[in-house]
Amino acid sequence: MSAAVASPLPHGEGLAARRALRDARIRGATFLALGVASFYFASSSFQTPAIFGFRIYTTGRETFEVATSVGLLWMIAGLAAALVGALQLWRGATFRWRPWLLVLLAPYVTVILGALLNGTTANLTRVLSGSFELATPLTLGALAGILSERSGMFNIALEGKMLIGACVSVVVGSVVLGATGNMFAATVAGVSAAMIAGGLLGLLLAWLGIRHRVDQIIAGTVINIGAVGITNFLFLRVLGSSPELNTPPNVSAMQLPFLSEIPVLGPLLFSLRPYVYLSIILVLVLTYLIYRTRWGLRLRASGEKPAAAGTVGINVLQIRYRALLFAGLICGLAGSYLPLATAGSFQMQMTAGKGFIALAAMIFGAWHPIGAFAAALVFGFADSAQALLSILGAQVPPQLLNSVPYVVTIVVVAGVVGRVRGPASAGQPYEQG
Amino acid sequence: MRLELREITKRFPGVLANDRISISVDKGQVLGLLGENGAGKTTLMNILSGLYKPDSGEILVDDQPRVFSDPHAAIAAGVGMVHQHFMLVPVFDVVEAVALGAETVRGPLHTFDRAAARRRIVELSERYKLNVNPDLKIETLPVGVRQRVEILKALYRQSDILVLDEPSAVLTPSETEELFGIIRSLAASGTTVIFITHKLNEVIEVADKIVVLRRGRVAGTADPKTATRQELANLMVGRDVELIVPKGPAKPGDVVLNIKDLVVRDDRLELAVKSVDLDVRAGEILAIAGVQGNGQTELVEAITGLRTIDSGEITIGGRHVEKATPRQVSDLGVAHIPEDRGRDGLIAFMSVAENYILDTYHRQPYSRRGVFDLKAVDERATQGVRDFDIRTPSIRTLVTALSGGNQQKVVVAREFSVPVQLVIAAQPTRGLDVGSIEYIHRRIVEQRDAGAAIVIVSTELDEVLAVGDRIAVMFDGRIVGILSGDDATLENLGLLMGGAKFGEGTAA
Repeated sequence: MSAAVASPLPHGEGLAARRALRDARIRGATFLALGVASFYFASSSFQTPAIFGFRIYTTGRETFEVATSVGLLWMIAGLAAALVGALQLWRGATFRWRPWLLVLLAPYVTVILGALLNGTTANLTRVLSGSFELATPLTLGALAGILSERSGMFNIALEGKMLIGACVSVVVGSVVLGATGNMFAATVAGVSAAMIAGGLLGLLLAWLGIRHRVDQIIAGTVINIGAVGITNFLFLRVLGSSPELNTPPNVSAMQLPFLSEIPVLGPLLFSLRPYVYLSIILVLVLTYLIYRTRWGLRLRASGEKPAAAGTVGINVLQIRYRALLFAGLICGLAGSYLPLATAGSFQMQMTAGKGFIALAAMIFGAWHPIGAFAAALVFGFADSAQALLSILGAQVPPQLLNSVPYVVTIVVVAGVVGRVRGPASAGQPYEQG
Repeated sequence: MRLELREITKRFPGVLANDRISISVDKGQVLGLLGENGAGKTTLMNILSGLYKPDSGEILVDDQPRVFSDPHAAIAAGVGMVHQHFMLVPVFDVVEAVALGAETVRGPLHTFDRAAARRRIVELSERYKLNVNPDLKIETLPVGVRQRVEILKALYRQSDILVLDEPSAVLTPSETEELFGIIRSLAASGTTVIFITHKLNEVIEVADKIVVLRRGRVAGTADPKTATRQELANLMVGRDVELIVPKGPAKPGDVVLNIKDLVVRDDRLELAVKSVDLDVRAGEILAIAGVQGNGQTELVEAITGLRTIDSGEITIGGRHVEKATPRQVSDLGVAHIPEDRGRDGLIAFMSVAENYILDTYHRQPYSRRGVFDLKAVDERATQGVRDFDIRTPSIRTLVTALSGGNQQKVVVAREFSVPVQLVIAAQPTRGLDVGSIEYIHRRIVEQRDAGAAIVIVSTELDEVLAVGDRIAVMFDGRIVGILSGDDATLENLGLLMGGAKFGEGTAA
């Protein structure tokens, strides 16, 4: 009989810990280098003014201006980066750096904006309120994605459903507007029709994925491609020859009583289109429903471990069908925003990848409605700043500027998000006994 | 409550899963339902939980006929199920996981009343001494606690009949003891318990009444006070089986496998094997006991060349194999029966013959200059099927169509088809029925007597005690003790497996 004597570990700490420490050092050095580079930029740009204007009242042209210099902004950004770098080096692998990255985002975005403007005065009210507007279809799309994936179904058909929603809202809205002349009725009819179309497509996706167990990515792709084909055909063959079908009602900004009269904040936050308010309300309502109610508990169980829900008598498939129906309704709403609120008419492939950016916002926001809203705002801001820069004629090729929102998407999803965990069973068919 | 099943029959395409099964169990009684894989236990349980509908027959609760059309109906009738694979949402906390499907709600939006659910869970946990913290996430809990959460789930639904499916499969011996304590106290407070298992010791220990199923029928009933393991095994299999394969004393020869100060990491780069030293000699069986996940998998993978090692030495027959590829190890005459035969042992959608030559296909007589000699393949495979009594329609049948026992025989036949000096068998009888276990053990002992060195890794203490000439216990990446087969008992092995230091409570 013998017993092996337990010897102390020959290798000290784990390999994983050593790698984490090395990564932390590289990260800290990178932040420091960013700070040093910022000081270098600062030294050559103290003479360049950076003037940001804010509108004081919703009506009228008075503005409140903040004037500083690009060099000073570089200094602030550089100090912030150096601080984060120092913290990272000091605290090592345990340092939670991702939130700090977001903190760094604000000064750097400001300074880059200032540098690109090169002395021109910029109206930030326009940029910031534009961020909310441009974020709205992304927020709605992301909410639809969250509903689907929390129930356990992949939904990459957001894009196609939004495109169909856009087209349907235009046609129905135009017809009702032509017949009644009533803007409000036409809007309601157009938006409702878009939601119904989206809902039906959601049910189609559910039916393909659940009943026929078609791979959910493939089913979604089919819907996306089909939506492009159908709407292109309609646009070229029908809307082209009957322009009266492509003159939809217009949803304009709504000034909230009292709130819109607050100086600076009023024009920025409280004179936006009803879509924006609606999407924010939906974000809050869905957050409550998903995390606080019986329905939400069962929804999440279906997406995480459907067998656990099924064995206690929950009808998982019904939950998934319903989730996709609601997701489709929201997608249709998001789609109707594009022609009714911004473009004024339907155009070919006018969603231009917004459904996929919405999916990115869903992931960036860790499948949580509020997180997804914040992510959509980041993308909306990128889009809005891009619009401002191209109007003011910054010395950057327009193609490059147009790509900014997409580049931000890639950077955010690859870099900032890191590892977030989605619903464990999303995309897997569930067999109900 | 009293539960009675009358003449339950359930047919699947081509299989009669339950054939007129009649069982009854009284209030406060523990029924042990014993049977091999495929005996119809799982089907019967799914009928009881409302997942399947029987083709004919009746279920009576307190002598009232009930129809379990869906899981709701079964739960409403008071039947609570503890599944073998836990049905708990990993990211939920205990309160959410337990209340799911039976939530207390308030308000127009059906807001989940978490506080009320939590109060009940705390109260039940205290009353039945389950000792569960309601605020922890399921994924952070050890399996023993998860099982108690499953029991809580049933109690939360006011189940009077608790059905436990293979509850001890994932537990350590001490956790199993704890579970039995809970079962006894539940029964004492009036809960009826149905305990499904294929482990003979367990039914004898905890049941008040034993029913044995075989091939979808009730093969017999037994009284745990008088029944022996041998009788129960014979009933289960339908013939006389040898629970412990007879073997003579080991005649250890030269050291074949020598491991010095071996350190290996797992997939997450954490240390899994922390300094292991082992010698295994020709003509002896070294059994490595331990609870799943204590480094056994990584140890086996390191020996067979499937995993790179961190440091240390491994020699087989005097040759260093620290950096050898799996084929180089295999060519030294090492037979490897992998832990997960479905993943590492067989290719499910290839035929028996193809699987039979998986590690020798590139050599004579199967291959000549890169081209198969199909005749030789067929001849040898047919020979293997005959020698190892593999029940298959033909050698062209896909292995996925065979039963688990026959699949494992294909693996063993292949590994023993060439001369071996070392056998590494990881969980060689996992999921197999008593008859197949007997067969596999017999073959392994034959290899020992022919002069091979054998390493068997197993989490089943019965197996370790039955075949091991020496028994090493692995805990937390180390060998915490090596006992000779004669000194080992369930008790001292159990203590070592749970992490007790060698010498504490074990016979020194």
